[in-house]
Amino acid sequence: MKRRSFRSPISVESAGYHEERTGFITLARRARPGETLVEAFLLFCAAISIFTTLGIVATLGRESLSFFREVSFIEFFTGRVWQPAIGEFGILPLLTATLATSFYAMLVALPLGLVVAIYLSEYAPFGVREVLKPVLEVLAGVPTVVYGYFALTTVTPFLQGILGQDRVEVYNTLSAGLVMGILILPLVASMCEDALSAVPAALREGAYAMGATKLETSVKIVVPSAFSGLAAAFILALSRAVGETMIVALAAGAGPNLTLNPFRSAETMTGHIVRISGGDLSYDSIDYRSLFAIALLLFLVTLALNILSRKIIRRYREVYE
Amino acid sequence: MKRDTFTPNLAARNAKGARWRLAFLAATAFSVLFLASLIASIVNQSFGYVVMTAEVDPATLQNDGVPLEKQDEATLAGTIRGNVSRRLFVKLDAERSLASRSREELLEIIVAEIVQPTVRRTWTLAQSLFDADAIRGQVAEEYPDGNLSFRSWVNAGLFANPQSSVATAAGIRGAIIGSLATLLLTLLVAFPLGVGAAIYLQEYAKDNAINRIIETNIYNLAGVPSIIYGMLGLAIFVRALEPLTSGAIFRAAAAEGANGRTILSASLTLALLILPIVIINAQEALRAIPDSLRQSSLAVGATKWQTIRHHVLPAAADRILTGTVLAVSRALGETAPLVVVGASTFLTQDPAGPFSKFTTLPIQIYQWTARPQAEFRNLAAAAILVLLVLGLSLNAAAIIARNRFRREKRLGR
Amino acid sequence: MKKLLIASVICALAVSAGAQAKFAWIDPVSDDADKILPGVDPTKVTGTVVTAGSSTVFPLSEAIVERLVKEGFTGQITIDSIGSGAGFERFCVSGETDVSNASSKIKQTQIDAAAKLSPPRVPLEFRVGTDALAVVVSTKNKFITDATDKELALIFSTAAFWSDVRPTWPKKEIRRFSPGTDSGTFEYFVEHIFKKDKKPLLSAKNLQLSEDDNVLVRGIAGDENAIGYFGFAYYLENKGKLRAVNVNGVEPNQASVDANKYPLARPLFLYSDARIIAEKPQVAAYLTYYLTYVNEVIKKVGYFPAPADGMKKTKQLLADAMKGRF
Repeated sequence: MKRRSFRSPISVESAGYHEERTGFITLARRARPGETLVEAFLLFCAAISIFTTLGIVATLGRESLSFFREVSFIEFFTGRVWQPAIGEFGILPLLTATLATSFYAMLVALPLGLVVAIYLSEYAPFGVREVLKPVLEVLAGVPTVVYGYFALTTVTPFLQGILGQDRVEVYNTLSAGLVMGILILPLVASMCEDALSAVPAALREGAYAMGATKLETSVKIVVPSAFSGLAAAFILALSRAVGETMIVALAAGAGPNLTLNPFRSAETMTGHIVRISGGDLSYDSIDYRSLFAIALLLFLVTLALNILSRKIIRRYREVYE
Repeated sequence: MKRDTFTPNLAARNAKGARWRLAFLAATAFSVLFLASLIASIVNQSFGYVVMTAEVDPATLQNDGVPLEKQDEATLAGTIRGNVSRRLFVKLDAERSLASRSREELLEIIVAEIVQPTVRRTWTLAQSLFDADAIRGQVAEEYPDGNLSFRSWVNAGLFANPQSSVATAAGIRGAIIGSLATLLLTLLVAFPLGVGAAIYLQEYAKDNAINRIIETNIYNLAGVPSIIYGMLGLAIFVRALEPLTSGAIFRAAAAEGANGRTILSASLTLALLILPIVIINAQEALRAIPDSLRQSSLAVGATKWQTIRHHVLPAAADRILTGTVLAVSRALGETAPLVVVGASTFLTQDPAGPFSKFTTLPIQIYQWTARPQAEFRNLAAAAILVLLVLGLSLNAAAIIARNRFRREKRLGR
Repeated sequence: MKKLLIASVICALAVSAGAQAKFAWIDPVSDDADKILPGVDPTKVTGTVVTAGSSTVFPLSEAIVERLVKEGFTGQITIDSIGSGAGFERFCVSGETDVSNASSKIKQTQIDAAAKLSPPRVPLEFRVGTDALAVVVSTKNKFITDATDKELALIFSTAAFWSDVRPTWPKKEIRRFSPGTDSGTFEYFVEHIFKKDKKPLLSAKNLQLSEDDNVLVRGIAGDENAIGYFGFAYYLENKGKLRAVNVNGVEPNQASVDANKYPLARPLFLYSDARIIAEKPQVAAYLTYYLTYVNEVIKKVGYFPAPADGMKKTKQLLADAMKGRF
């Protein structure tokens, strides 16, 4: 939506209003220092966000720069071991763990979220909707430390019960990923539901008029036309999964481990940062700077995902009218 | 379309639709089920049987051959004197003279300070309800001197007690105060800044490159992982701005142990975290106000700020407030950034102001799950219940306030 | 002559101005069995003490502080459980803390860093107890009851299967759990088993590191092929799920620690600085109280008392740092 400029549409100079006060309605634009002050303050508020981003980039960038002077990009991105204490700086174990947990989370959140959204927007009667939406909001509002705890004490034993204790480790990426999916589910469902509801009734009615069933309308007409909103929802959910910390810190594992086995433990980028900084960050050591390198990578990944999501919205947004 | 082409597969299509509808319903039901099982598992841990044994057998607390139950007040006071440290006795006496205390109070002191019942084993609610006999048998075998009782880990003590290494004496008092103080300060910082930025972006900003960059920037910041805000907070508020956040410049005498790991740093970090969310939400609220309202105000000669202040803001107030409160309730559950900023593991005093060291409820829960003793899991579950209720109340308050505002708006007040 | 008189008067004035008053918190009755330290009246101690460091020492410090509060202390003592290394970081490099808890000795680099602070700090070492570092396996593990230190070195580094270490053990993958590199427990283990070389342990496969001992407990207890190590107090608390492995044939318990037979018995320390003790009476009170009562609480926490003559020397060190004030 284009921003409008609210300059006063009325601007009339009126001469001579100093002399007489009666009879003249003056609409002259006299100087109002208060207005300028207010505008300046509001501009400052908006600029804080720029300062924040600059702060993030400066903080992460400065330390990462001195990190990359000592460790080459190649070693960082292709090394298979992450153990700063002995000089190993390969991000692959942490990166694969992050991607793996996010993947499992998406496996749960995307289909379920989309399906819940379809149900809520197309099928659910009004009363059910009014109850379900707050329930989903509660799911989203549960603190992540509770989810992590749940993954550890309920989901992992459940998996171990099904697959056997020697196949499933106490800390594993699968249960962290599954629980993370449930955490993200309300986000996906709510954004998808907004996108689906924005599809005008005319499209649906046209489909019914052609003789389509409700299922066919929803799946073949409504969902494709809401595609940009759905895609944006998926990407935002992915970026949320990548950035999630406490669930993986509690349930996925405490040692960097390059593995694709979902039943083994592996530490993610975020889990590693919180584990090490729960101690203290010793200045001027390569371990300290390596944390910032990881954080910078994380920031860039989520930034890229967010920008991608906005581009998709803008590019594929259907104009309904 | 001819009828005979149309009807044959109609039944099949409808059947397919019905099956998928069931699938959709099942998926929704699964989500609700998950939430229910999450809450059930927490409730399960928060109540149950515990067996406690005494550190010191009350039978050994005879004074001059008089057993404990038969001692009168004076003898009880003597028992206390003989079994606690001198200074503790002096302190108890200084609080209120032991001679003036009733028999029940003296027995209470003896139990708390000398007998010191400690938890040996806990059971969950489900076990306590369904396996009660098996539990009793087990206790009779393994803890013959033990006292089996049903305990609710959510009790008055949970709220009134400070941190402790003994689960039955530990509570979330300091953590709740820390959480609420942090949230209050976060709200005070994030609300004006966020709403201000939204007003600027929606009402004042021209559609040029700089303002578009600011908007894109805010959207991106909303998606940045919270731990990165923690690192930012550590670098800027704890380290670089240490004189400000430790309160050193506000106090003439050097604050002892002054460092930046205070409530002020935590609040500022959380404020930065929720600021993008507040801004986006407030902007949406302002966007929803129809232009006719603005234009009619300007038509009668109001300035832009007067228009905003007296017409646009009140109209958008309900949505702005709801969104802000929801953002603050998200800050309530944040753990990772505060771990990085440096919440303390153990404090003897509750936080007294913005320059105090602190701990928050999610961090306290996280630390309790790290304790070796099993009963701390139960305590953590009880604290989680409190946290959930707190978060839900905040959300409910926001929604109620929004409905109230809406009603007033509709009634034209 | 006159000049000498004036000079000596000035000197005397300077000395008397420099001589500080007695501590306000001194209690006439001292509970110190060694009769070296003064008594502490908790109700008269005011101010803040900031401490941080080892997660092994944390339960001990917590017990002492709780006792202090129970007896009437109304000030603020904070303890952060962040690992010995991180604790030294805060004490020696950023100067944030007054007392550092450690389960490993301070290193020369850290002492040098402390000297560079302004004002400079000279760390004083107070030994407060002994920990028997327990090497633990799950109770589900039926095959291992003891190991030599050479076998431990193999187990925690290059061995892939248990059978690689001892042929009678099963051919199952070894899952390793260890405290993180910030931990004094880690430092001590590496020092004793690997002669200060971190590399073999940190390059081992299937390794999980965590400062959070409960993470280690849970991981080890749930897996019959897991092995790990941490402070004795955590083992005691989880005796139902874990079993301690005898090292070189010696079982970790009070007797073997007192007799100096258990090879992995390690000292627990507090570090502070004489200037801090002199300038902050509450820190002096905290340390005095700690050393006086630590042996009363240490068994309940799960550790073992420091040797008696070592305790005497430590108390004397504190008394010397507080000279003239009591």
